[in-house]
Amino acid sequence: MSFGLECKKVKRTGFNPTFLCGGFIAAIVPILNMAVRSENYLGLDASPVQILMNANWQMMSLLNILVVVAGACLMYHIEYTDNALQRMCTLPIGESRLFFGKAALLAVMSVVLLLIEAAGIAFCLYHWFELSLDVWPELMKNFGYALLLIFPAATGSLMIASACKNMWVSLGIGVICVFAATMMPTKNFALSLFPFALPFQMFAGATENTVRNYIVAAVIEILIIGFAEVLLLKVRRAFE
Amino acid sequence: MNFLSLVNIEFKKIRRSKILFILAVSTIILWLPSLINADLNFGMQAEGISPENNFLIQGFMGMAWFMFPASMVVSTVLLNMTERSNKGILKMLSLPINTVKLCLAKFIVLLTLSAFQILMTIGMYFISAGIASQTQNYNFILKPLFVFNKAGLIFAAGIPMLAFFWLLSVCIQTPIISIAIGLASIVPSVLMINTKIWFVYPMSYPFFVITAEYGKLASNLTTAQVELIPFLPVAIGITIACLFISCLCFGQAERR
Repeated sequence: MSFGLECKKVKRTGFNPTFLCGGFIAAIVPILNMAVRSENYLGLDASPVQILMNANWQMMSLLNILVVVAGACLMYHIEYTDNALQRMCTLPIGESRLFFGKAALLAVMSVVLLLIEAAGIAFCLYHWFELSLDVWPELMKNFGYALLLIFPAATGSLMIASACKNMWVSLGIGVICVFAATMMPTKNFALSLFPFALPFQMFAGATENTVRNYIVAAVIEILIIGFAEVLLLKVRRAFE
Repeated sequence: MNFLSLVNIEFKKIRRSKILFILAVSTIILWLPSLINADLNFGMQAEGISPENNFLIQGFMGMAWFMFPASMVVSTVLLNMTERSNKGILKMLSLPINTVKLCLAKFIVLLTLSAFQILMTIGMYFISAGIASQTQNYNFILKPLFVFNKAGLIFAAGIPMLAFFWLLSVCIQTPIISIAIGLASIVPSVLMINTKIWFVYPMSYPFFVITAEYGKLASNLTTAQVELIPFLPVAIGITIACLFISCLCFGQAERR
């Protein structure tokens, strides 16, 4: 029930168009890049997916994470304006159900976001590289990995948004976290475990071992953030 | 009501907004990596830039690229939300105040916030340069006039960008769309500064200006320099057009 309700709430807020447009803008990045300077990339000795991801993923993932942060801030902003959250609290459902409903919606929209980008990459593969059938599993693996790694950032920014009453505070903290993530070296494993730095990681070119480490780390972070959110809500409820 | 007291009231509105705290935290995070990696500044022989100049310019480039524009988007959200929550804007519109003046007063507040952030960045620069001088046994602190000059360039180059962000937040009623456009428009500025038509894209101005300064300081590196003739008229034109449209649109949705 909670998920359907969340979909209804964001209906007229521009939430869905933002994710769609964000996805299209990010999908245009590799296409533009190939259209302008394809000669830089065609001769490289690597798999086509890896070339495209290396050239464009920094920018695409930055767009993704900014859209996700803005979306998370909006979802709690519509609860806090006009005290809608207080009404939700009077209903006979746990406050954490609200959070997980929102997280589910954000996850679904991240899937949409990444699907559009995968389509953009697939177009580049089709148009500039000879597309063979065995490239599809690789593409799916890449974006599946990206999807899993964006979840910690999504739930993390949703948690920040749920903790702050004012939208600019949650957005400001989110932007600072994204900025800190861009300043961090991606090679350093301990630093790149920061939830907002994870989406910048790539599947292509990584060894099996690091991929497994990041998957485990992402799952653990999602669990920790979910647990911390439940705790935060309980504590806040007790002091209100 | 004269303009100064209007600006004064706008400052009162955001007094308890914690925005200065957010801006301060972002400047601290900006200088932390440079402080930790201060020893990397000595390995810049290929570019031919002195360590102390490199320390300053790398930090300022990080600021001009993402942090400064992004925190200004957050500030526009703040200025808008304080009015729209609890229908404050309706009360303001019912007073005998010129809406154009009100809009410009808010823009002045935005400019002041950006100036504040740049001043805090300078302050943090001197603190971190002092610490780095202690840890590396090398004097990283540059002349204040030089630092203020570079920071002033970023501020001046940021004004058209601020006008554009202000236009977005005034004219687009749904907050998420204006935020998303603002944040997403920062990302391509890295590409835009490498093209010949960088001057039509206001979000790339601060980064372009500071990259040009980097090219001046590094003897072995040539970066594109600012050519005042297409740049200045276009920048002034964009600023005036953005401010004009935002003044026209201000409060229009509420007055329907």
